[in-house]
Amino acid sequence: MKVDAVVIGAGHNGLTTAALLAKSGRKIVVVEKRDKVGGLCALEEFHPGFKVPGVHLDTSGVRRDVAESLDLARHGLAFVAEEPPVFAPASDGPGLLLHRDPAKADAEIRAHSARDAKRYVEFRAFIGRVRGFIARLLNEPPPDLNGTGAGELWDLARTAIALRRLGADDMLEIARIAPTCVADWLNGWFECELLKAALAGPSLHGTFMGPWSSGTTATSLLQECVASGGVRGGSAALVTALHAAARAAGVDVRLGSAVEHIDVAGGRVKGVTLASRETIECSIVASSCDPKRTLLDLVAATHLAPRFAMAMRNYRMRGTSAKVHLALRRPLEFRARPGQVFEIARTGETLDELERAFDPVKYRKFSSEPILEIRVPSISSPELAPAGQHVASILVNGAPAELEGGWTDARRDELGNAVVNALARYAPGVRESIVAREVLTPLDIEQRYGVTGGHIHHGEHALDQLVMRPAPQCARYATPIEGLYLCGSGSHPGGGVTCAPGALAAKTIIERPARP
Amino acid sequence: MMAKSYDAIIIGAGHNGLVCAAYLAKAGRKVLVLERRHLVGGAAVTEELHPGFKFSVCSYVVSLMRPQIIRDLELPKYGFDLLPLDCAFLPLPDGRSLARWNDYARTRQEISRFSKKDAEVYPEYGHVMMQMGRFSKPIIDDVPPDPTSMNPFEILKLLRLGKRFRELGEDNGIAALKLFTMSAVDFLNEWFESDVLKAPMSVSGIIGTFLGVRSPGTAYVLLHHYMGEIDGAFRSWGFCRGGNGAVSNAIAAAARHYGAEIRIEAPIARVLVKDGTAEGVVLENGEEIRARLVVSSLDPNRTFLRLVGKEHLDPEFATSIERFKLRGSSGKVNLALDRVPEFTCRPGDGPHLRGDIAICPSVDYLERAYDEAKYGDFSSRPYLNVVIPSLSDPSVAPPGKHVMSIFVQYAPYKLKEGPAAWPQKRDAFGDAVIDTLAEYCPTLKESILYRQVLSPWDLEQQFGLTEGNIFHGELSLEQLLFMRPVAKWARYRTPIRSLWICGSGSHPGGGVMGAPGQIAAREILKAGAV
Amino acid sequence: MVLAVRRPKQAKGSLRMPIPTPFHPRTSALCTSYRWKQWAGYYAVCSYEMNHEREYFAFRHAAGLLDVSPLYKYDVGGRDAAAFLSRVMARDVRKLKVGQVGYCCWCNEEGHVLDDGTVTRLDDTRVRVTAAEPALAWLDRNRRGFDVALEDVSERIATLALQGPNSREILKQVCGADVERLKFFRATATKLDGLAAVVTRTGYTGDLGYEVWVARDDALALWDALVAAGKPYGLEPAGLDALDVTRVEAGFILNGVDYFGARDCVIPSQKSTPYEIGLGGTVHLDRDPFVGQEALKREVARGSEWAFVGLEIKWDEMERLYDSFGLPPHLPATAWRTAVPVYANGKQVGQATSGTWSPLLKRNLALASLRTPHAKLGTPLEIEHTIEYQRRTLPATVVEKPFFDPERKRA
Repeated sequence: MKVDAVVIGAGHNGLTTAALLAKSGRKIVVVEKRDKVGGLCALEEFHPGFKVPGVHLDTSGVRRDVAESLDLARHGLAFVAEEPPVFAPASDGPGLLLHRDPAKADAEIRAHSARDAKRYVEFRAFIGRVRGFIARLLNEPPPDLNGTGAGELWDLARTAIALRRLGADDMLEIARIAPTCVADWLNGWFECELLKAALAGPSLHGTFMGPWSSGTTATSLLQECVASGGVRGGSAALVTALHAAARAAGVDVRLGSAVEHIDVAGGRVKGVTLASRETIECSIVASSCDPKRTLLDLVAATHLAPRFAMAMRNYRMRGTSAKVHLALRRPLEFRARPGQVFEIARTGETLDELERAFDPVKYRKFSSEPILEIRVPSISSPELAPAGQHVASILVNGAPAELEGGWTDARRDELGNAVVNALARYAPGVRESIVAREVLTPLDIEQRYGVTGGHIHHGEHALDQLVMRPAPQCARYATPIEGLYLCGSGSHPGGGVTCAPGALAAKTIIERPARP
Repeated sequence: MMAKSYDAIIIGAGHNGLVCAAYLAKAGRKVLVLERRHLVGGAAVTEELHPGFKFSVCSYVVSLMRPQIIRDLELPKYGFDLLPLDCAFLPLPDGRSLARWNDYARTRQEISRFSKKDAEVYPEYGHVMMQMGRFSKPIIDDVPPDPTSMNPFEILKLLRLGKRFRELGEDNGIAALKLFTMSAVDFLNEWFESDVLKAPMSVSGIIGTFLGVRSPGTAYVLLHHYMGEIDGAFRSWGFCRGGNGAVSNAIAAAARHYGAEIRIEAPIARVLVKDGTAEGVVLENGEEIRARLVVSSLDPNRTFLRLVGKEHLDPEFATSIERFKLRGSSGKVNLALDRVPEFTCRPGDGPHLRGDIAICPSVDYLERAYDEAKYGDFSSRPYLNVVIPSLSDPSVAPPGKHVMSIFVQYAPYKLKEGPAAWPQKRDAFGDAVIDTLAEYCPTLKESILYRQVLSPWDLEQQFGLTEGNIFHGELSLEQLLFMRPVAKWARYRTPIRSLWICGSGSHPGGGVMGAPGQIAAREILKAGAV
Repeated sequence: MVLAVRRPKQAKGSLRMPIPTPFHPRTSALCTSYRWKQWAGYYAVCSYEMNHEREYFAFRHAAGLLDVSPLYKYDVGGRDAAAFLSRVMARDVRKLKVGQVGYCCWCNEEGHVLDDGTVTRLDDTRVRVTAAEPALAWLDRNRRGFDVALEDVSERIATLALQGPNSREILKQVCGADVERLKFFRATATKLDGLAAVVTRTGYTGDLGYEVWVARDDALALWDALVAAGKPYGLEPAGLDALDVTRVEAGFILNGVDYFGARDCVIPSQKSTPYEIGLGGTVHLDRDPFVGQEALKREVARGSEWAFVGLEIKWDEMERLYDSFGLPPHLPATAWRTAVPVYANGKQVGQATSGTWSPLLKRNLALASLRTPHAKLGTPLEIEHTIEYQRRTLPATVVEKPFFDPERKRA
């Protein structure tokens, strides 16, 4: 069989790349190891009648321009204008219900600190001002450091000009805060610990960092600056729409087709060989697998120069997140706010508490008091659970892939118990409400999804692995192997559900076809 | 009373203040240096704390002292005499040890006992780092480039830096990018497998900074080890004969030779500011001294918030100064010993004791030390950097006796009980240090003739280092280059006309390097400010 | 009377070279680097460790102990000893008092230097001469008419140089307060830890320092006594590599490196007069005849063609040159002694014969022989420098010599 391009992996990025390439008139095959599309966003029925997207639920970063270019609306995708607010429970007191919109957040924050309520308005205004620049940085391929062509220089110049438009003050402020830790940054803004912890939380998701690790302000800024509403129906709805759009564009999505290796000869891609020994010939392969999986596992070692192979080996993918899925008999109710339900809740009352949950990770242990990001998608998507019942999807920070002694069934249970205990601190009724529980350790995530180290972002969001992601030699989607491209979260602008790496990779492939 | 008038008053006779004074005086300016204490040197002093024992009380090695300063001021003529440290010794709790020497072959032998691969990679790493050092050198010898400026000269400067960057080649270019963004441990992880290299090497990334070795942005400090030049070789650490006070004394002598006047025991109450212009200073005894220019070598916090006063500052600038992170994180223990301390893992008084001795057996050890400090305690098992200068320079102790200087991290200025709790905790802190070292060196306790413990709080009280920060401000990425101490004011000028800064709180930062003082003087003269 | 050279016991029955000095049992045990060279037929340590740096700093900051036994040593005895040496040497040795040491050179009748060394008046009738090259035959050849006895004591006397700022304190520990009063370039016979010894306050490092002369059989006892006394004072055994750096800092010439004894020269231009190699100060010209006097007088009247000077090579320029090659500045690890041309405005005006980076002074230094018009202090010159196999020049300036001259040397 012969096609123009093979895309490896039918996750949201793989589907995005495939759909965009197909729309440009190319004949595309997507090969997916699993028997369903969606990758980390795929819906999993973890208990009869209870379904939840496997890893990613946050769709606030999905790029609207990508959705438009693929006409996803026609395939059933709808954006919501605003994300649900985040509830941050406290051991005593009412906790904090945090809206992104400062007007809506005002009363809640004011209950903790009038000063912070005022500062929150300024904080959001600052994000608003720098948003354009950061979004631009994230929505363009990274600059070519060694480029000498006028085009590259122009790209650089445009970034610089965009930077200048910001005004020197905001620009200096970005330069000042980007390398700092999110704790310092937020301490500079606010006094209320609960507010700071709630704001800091997302910047730590999936990373090998605590709030006192420098560089976390950068990850926080990146998230804050692209967040806008989200997708109705969540990540599962997104992949459904992407799948439909891809098929409509003529993409052949082949499930249950694990790639054995990428065929390379003379430094060029020749095709892929599947586990079934079937070979698909093509001159372009776009892999949405993580960079290590793609370049170290799927490409034979002899095709990589030693130094590049070393750079890939050094790419950091030490997963630190686990997932716990709960099938709940009743709605999840927090002691502080009886009778209310929240689609998103976030534990961690102080920055130090977040840091303490990270400390054991450094010593290859998991935290007995993990920090939880709890989502109850069944509130807006009741079809995920039997009527009146709910599913809770909990992202657990502080569970290292490289656990001392290794992950075992017993350790998995231990982690699950720690998570339920941590949740029960604020939602005491949860224990009795649990119908079923699924715990995914980083090892489980690695095994189910094929993500190295179980890293949900396909690689650490550290300063040196942003922009020049995963490594300078392949930061612009093209790898040193002619015709092999990266199109997953291991490329700029990184992980989460954004579809941006997939779209930028497709753009690169379309604009720069393989040399004859 | 009105005293006579000067071209410039330098506040503080630390090494940077003195360097600045010397250069200004050399250019023919009438300069007065005012020092609060009874001796010059600031944090680079030698004091005879115990009869016959001369201690480099605070700073204890000379790092990166700019060679052009040594040449320009002819410091060797005035007693500046540097002995390079030729060994980095790492005792381990399991009875093994690693000594790294200035000789690669010998070091390779040592490392290969832990990892043959690391032994081979070590010189390769050194080679790349040397290239990085060369690339970075122009940065520390000049005013920082200003990326926000539209001035063609600035752009030219950036382009030149860009050209240098490209000349590094792809591999080194990538290494440079990583160096400026990664954590010391992650960076070293890319090269080495053995903790015995990673721990002592990464630790240089966090000295004087309230960060852990896994904090991004700590890698570039590794460069400091390859940026210094002693005797034309890229290495940077040495003892000054006679202690670090001899550095200051040499610079003071040079300054005096060029006509600078230095007054000790002259504490300053405030800088005289009128209509946004500095006109001189007022001493604590009420004496007013006028000058065309006031140059402060104190840290930015002290200079602006104490000596100038917020009332003279634009609120935004004042906020920036308040936000400038000082956060002292280290202390010092000085010991007088009646014999050479002997380490169980490598007995005898051989040359391995003549360099610096690090107690940091693993990366996790360092992280644990940091974890305790994060929550407001001093580390119960801290990182120690021990030197015994009397082994190389017998003049600092009676014959056969020794002085030992122990740099300790972490000791957070802000204890969870607050900084004022330090006097109650000082002895416990000192004990923790001695206990830690005694695990490697069992005879230590019985050989101690005298002990001085300096917490960050003590450093603030005695040496005027705000929050006890030895570098006048953390050397973290956001406080470097054009952001040190504050963006838009990173070129030694201040928003107060005729007030300049020349201390370690300005580019290129701390350490006994003298560069801030020199570049400040150059900028002052270039600007025609006096 | 002329004695035959006595071979040491270790080498009996063989003519293997080099041969060990009397201190060899100690020095060989310490010389972990196995870095030796041959000095006048003897084993001499270059550096005990792979790198000489620590030994250098011991010389400059504490004390270094150097085996200088390979020096040629001659005792001149008899009523006419001083008069005889005044005839042979350019210096008037009669002016030296008993207990005084003089630095001298000796010339042939053309006024060309044969060698340089020290002359010590041990007592009224005994003078000891040290030399870099054998001098027995030359002394003997000029002996006619003087009532003197010549003895080559090179093998009989073992010598250690104890040099550095702590050397006085160390010596005091083993031979009492005598030594404290010993002035610069003076000698005293003393008991050193019970051993009969001559101590002279001389040396080749340009610092406070002594040389201790004992009978060969006492060598090891002397070594042990000094090492034990020196330990608390930071004493280190030191080798010739460290010495070479210090001697350049001190501006001392070396026979065979900075000039050549006339007897070793093949062509006239290789020869030098005392004035040409900076030893003019040791010449007492206006007195009764001595070997070479007439020629030297003529030279003084005419003016010397050559001068021996110190050069400083400018570091900034050197750094710039290396940078233009994309390299960091590089210095040889030890003092160098391969002569390179020196130019003025592109024209060769002499040669630099040895040099070193001074870790103490932080200056890049050289010793050079230049044509007199270019030898004035401050003259800008260029010195050849090879970088990446390409010959370039670096700016250098004539500067004052000695480069290093601490007060304690004389105090």
